[in-house]
Amino acid sequence: MFERTFRPLSLLAIFLTACSGNATDGQARRSGKPPLNEVTVLLDAGYAGSWPAGLDPATSPTGRANLSIMNAIFGGLFQLTANADGSNPRIVGVLASGFEITNGGKTLIVRLRDGVLFSDGTPLDAEAVRYNIERNLATPCSCAPTAWPWADKNRTVISDEHTIALNFSRPFGAVINAFPVSNINWIASPTALERMGEDQFKLAPVGAGPFRVVGDQLSAVLTLERNPKYWQEGRPYLDKLVFRSIGSEQAGVQALLSGDAQLYEGMTSTSLMDLAASRNDIVVTQQPPTSTYVIQLNTLRPPFDDERARSALYYATDVDAIVHGIFSDRYPRSQSFTAPGGLFHEGSVPGYREFDLERARAIVQELGGIKVTLNTIRTFDGERIATALQSQWKEAGIEVTTQAHELGNVIQTFRGGTWQAFLQTAGSYDPEAGPGVSFRFRSDGIYTGVHDEKLDAILVEAAASHDDQMRFQLYQSAGKLISDKAYAPFLFAANRAQVATRDLSGPGLTTKIPPIMVNTAILWTDVKRNLE
Amino acid sequence: MTASSRPKARGRFRWPQGFGVSSAALTLLAIVIACFLWPEVHSMHMPVGGNVRDANLPLLSSDHLLGTDMDGNDVLSRLLYGGRQSLLVAFGVNLLGLLIGGTLGAVAAYFRGFVDTAIMRTIDIIIAFPPLILAIAISQAFTPSTGTLVLALLCYSIPAFARVSRASTLRLCALPFMTAARLSATSHNGILRKHIAPNVLPQLASYALLGVGVVVVLEGAMSFLGLGTPPPNPSWGGMIFHGQSAMLTRPHLLIVPSVMLSVTVLCFNLIGEALRERLDAK
Amino acid sequence: MIYSKSGLWTDAAALSSPRLELCRAILRRLVIVGTVLIGVSALTFFVLGILPGNAAQTLFGQDATPEQLARIEAELNLDRPILERYNLWAVEALHGNLGHSLASHQSATKLLADRLPVTIELVVLALLLSLILAVPAALVASRWPARFIDRSVAAINITTLSIPSYVFALILVLMFSVHLRLLPAIGFVPLRESVVRNLESMTLPALAIALPLFGLYTRFLRGDLLEQLLHHDYIVAAKAKGIGSLRILVRHALPNSISGLLTVIGVNFGALIGGTVIIEQIFALPGIGKLLLESVHARDVPIVQAIVVTLAAISTGVNLAIDALYGTIDPRTRNASF
Repeated sequence: MFERTFRPLSLLAIFLTACSGNATDGQARRSGKPPLNEVTVLLDAGYAGSWPAGLDPATSPTGRANLSIMNAIFGGLFQLTANADGSNPRIVGVLASGFEITNGGKTLIVRLRDGVLFSDGTPLDAEAVRYNIERNLATPCSCAPTAWPWADKNRTVISDEHTIALNFSRPFGAVINAFPVSNINWIASPTALERMGEDQFKLAPVGAGPFRVVGDQLSAVLTLERNPKYWQEGRPYLDKLVFRSIGSEQAGVQALLSGDAQLYEGMTSTSLMDLAASRNDIVVTQQPPTSTYVIQLNTLRPPFDDERARSALYYATDVDAIVHGIFSDRYPRSQSFTAPGGLFHEGSVPGYREFDLERARAIVQELGGIKVTLNTIRTFDGERIATALQSQWKEAGIEVTTQAHELGNVIQTFRGGTWQAFLQTAGSYDPEAGPGVSFRFRSDGIYTGVHDEKLDAILVEAAASHDDQMRFQLYQSAGKLISDKAYAPFLFAANRAQVATRDLSGPGLTTKIPPIMVNTAILWTDVKRNLE
Repeated sequence: MTASSRPKARGRFRWPQGFGVSSAALTLLAIVIACFLWPEVHSMHMPVGGNVRDANLPLLSSDHLLGTDMDGNDVLSRLLYGGRQSLLVAFGVNLLGLLIGGTLGAVAAYFRGFVDTAIMRTIDIIIAFPPLILAIAISQAFTPSTGTLVLALLCYSIPAFARVSRASTLRLCALPFMTAARLSATSHNGILRKHIAPNVLPQLASYALLGVGVVVVLEGAMSFLGLGTPPPNPSWGGMIFHGQSAMLTRPHLLIVPSVMLSVTVLCFNLIGEALRERLDAK
Repeated sequence: MIYSKSGLWTDAAALSSPRLELCRAILRRLVIVGTVLIGVSALTFFVLGILPGNAAQTLFGQDATPEQLARIEAELNLDRPILERYNLWAVEALHGNLGHSLASHQSATKLLADRLPVTIELVVLALLLSLILAVPAALVASRWPARFIDRSVAAINITTLSIPSYVFALILVLMFSVHLRLLPAIGFVPLRESVVRNLESMTLPALAIALPLFGLYTRFLRGDLLEQLLHHDYIVAAKAKGIGSLRILVRHALPNSISGLLTVIGVNFGALIGGTVIIEQIFALPGIGKLLLESVHARDVPIVQAIVVTLAAISTGVNLAIDALYGTIDPRTRNASF
């Protein structure tokens, strides 16, 4: 009845829109026309959908968060791919044709493809890659891979037009796994940089990826069109790609239902995922997890300089209840910083302190009570986990206050040094790729609460080695050491889901690819929209 | 102003007296009792510290009349305790806003002359300054607590009252009796107290009563900035805010506090109108 | 003595020529706007300065080393004392250069020119919608007070008043975008592209903001109208003359209430901007609310300053206009205003 009353209104709307020129895709759907060959992607305004400093790989500190955007524009030298179910993950060359690790792990040889052009027509050759690497390292930005152990001299060596070698001062086994989330994976056109100047370039960057920039409103809307000079014949399939920043996952789902968007990338709300999955026209693809939630403890100050206090937290935490109650059993428990989707995963650590409320109470009593401020980042999930922990620990007699921080303020809290406990995520596809493990558990890490020489030695050795077996063993012993000393209780491995309308398909979108860090890299070249 | 020569209201202008107002007053009393007294005498679940294993229980579960929320807390209990928090905060903010803002506005409108332009400019500056920034600044400078929440809400409330009060006073100052008062060499303080305050107060009071509902909602919106009632403590505004993220999946989490709030605001409104009518008719 | 202190200077003013008076009035207003802008910009600067953290830390601090941070801070002039920085900013601002974003180096003026119209349009549309709904509702309610129609209007008002705009937003999208497929759920189409589609994309967001305002304004207006109906002699006299009630309301009572209503609107104006933040996030509108929020979090001082100063100018302008309108609409206040 409601609908009948509004039919004349809809007809009027159709009439008006028909007369108003270029229809958007949502428009097309509303007036019953066939869909356009374009996709609107919704990104979370607090993370992936925020690029306040622009999109220049050398100056954008949010590059890793804006992974999808950067990959669409720059393509990337290497990407992680996997079988459709997420198994057999491996690094493949996209704009590069392959790689080789030589010199005992101290040199990475990158081979480029023949005939790859930037969207401005200039060639992507070894010279361009070197230009980018040097520029990246020279620009004062936290996005530069200055943490990599570059060789003092001749860190980049060009052998020919399509081959460049990166030299390190020590074996760096994890380098190729860290590449796809490093800003040097995205090669900017040197010609365009010189021509446009840095300030203009960051607003409308020129890369060699499947799409090129047509319009950019920072942290709001990014409009891309297919790159006619893309090296692969017949790709990308899509004509247009629009990224929109949105602040509410629920509004995002509604936009998918109404046809105004086709993909919400990186959804975290499990209840919304359940809802979306129950609809016929929506497909939810949960990506394999590669990082775990952990409660970092500051072992340098009271109360957690005392191992007993730390272990009390282990005993007081009922992870199963959290996973069941808040996340509908979607995520697997973890006891170390590795996760099922990543490398070197082990499900359990021998001797890990399991949930035991009585024991927790006993310890707390013995210590005469524990007071703790639990910090967390202001995300929906983070705050809820913190609340649940608060109730659980309270039952053991621990007094807890929670405090949520904006992402930008986190570093101050750590620098201040007075923090006691911080709920964070640790680990990545490769524990050495990006700040995940070292930053949190090594004495020299920026976000660390641990000063343990033995642990340092293990982690340093694991980072250096390029022998996978050896690294596996080393990470295992690191996990055991952390558990034995009760440095940080681990919770579970979580990851985000891609929520898309049924007509969409693509790798990392409707198939599973482990994220190297947080975001799964969708391979936009192969994304298709079924237009029937 | 309320000259005795004016005929009283009669005939077709029937005010909501008698039945309407007394039922509103009773409902409000019931709500206040429910929120402030009932939990003290009748043992119920605590509004916080719920076991996350009990999360998302539906309506009319055994032991949880209104179900539980995402963290395992009893919704009914949160509703009542949340009512306490919301009503107290809303009252406090409106009262303070009325007193501080109302005084500022009246004083500014009353005093003229270049020396006192200073007050007006300061008020203008405060009003022109986007309250959002001040609210964010407060949320980042201090640890969130009910105190900082009230402070942030006052950033919206005080300028509002100042403006309304200033406009009212301006209108008043133009009236003949004001000139008479000034000519009679009454002190400024006396004029403000005896003439301006009683005449401006009714309008401010009715604005304040409307403001109760607005402040509760605003408090919920503050959660967006991280400034709302510090979790996990409940408040109606906070329940509405978090309920909206579950609107599609568990609508009653949103509907229950919204209905509660609407009913409360309606009662305030009815009582407020009756009160004003009574004040005016004097 | 009495003359110099109270508002009786209007007598003196009445003696001078109208043209001189107009000039003085305009000058006075300009001075007011100027003072307010200086005051607001200084206040913003220092408030941001007191807050913990600075742009370098929040924007680049994720994985930066202390040396990297120090370099960035030096580049952005953040290592200079606060008064010096304010001076630098103010001097530039006076020349019309509002500076560049510390994050993206985009010109603040350009950013504002891009985003401000969206928010302004949203706010204006919301106000229009709320008034279109509120005025007739208030008239009807005060024409037949305490009857069924009045109570229904009251019930509707209280409901809309106590439901936040973001809840309305979600409900409206559910109704009109998902089920009825009439209007878009997200997105903004600029005016120059298509007027029709621009209005389409703004209808639901504007409506979401307008509904709670409608509730507030209707209650306020109705109360004011009724008060006049009851207490003001001329209205009672008009009724005695036999003029229809509705006509009285519209032609006599309403104009007097307008000034009060305008005040309430003027008061809301600054707070409205804050309210647009959530709505802009839900509908993915590239407006100023979101920009302001992000910039404060990022301590991107030039952008925050630019926004604040512009908003202050608009808000002061609006309120001054309302004050001027008092004079035209309600002659009794004419001599008392400035």
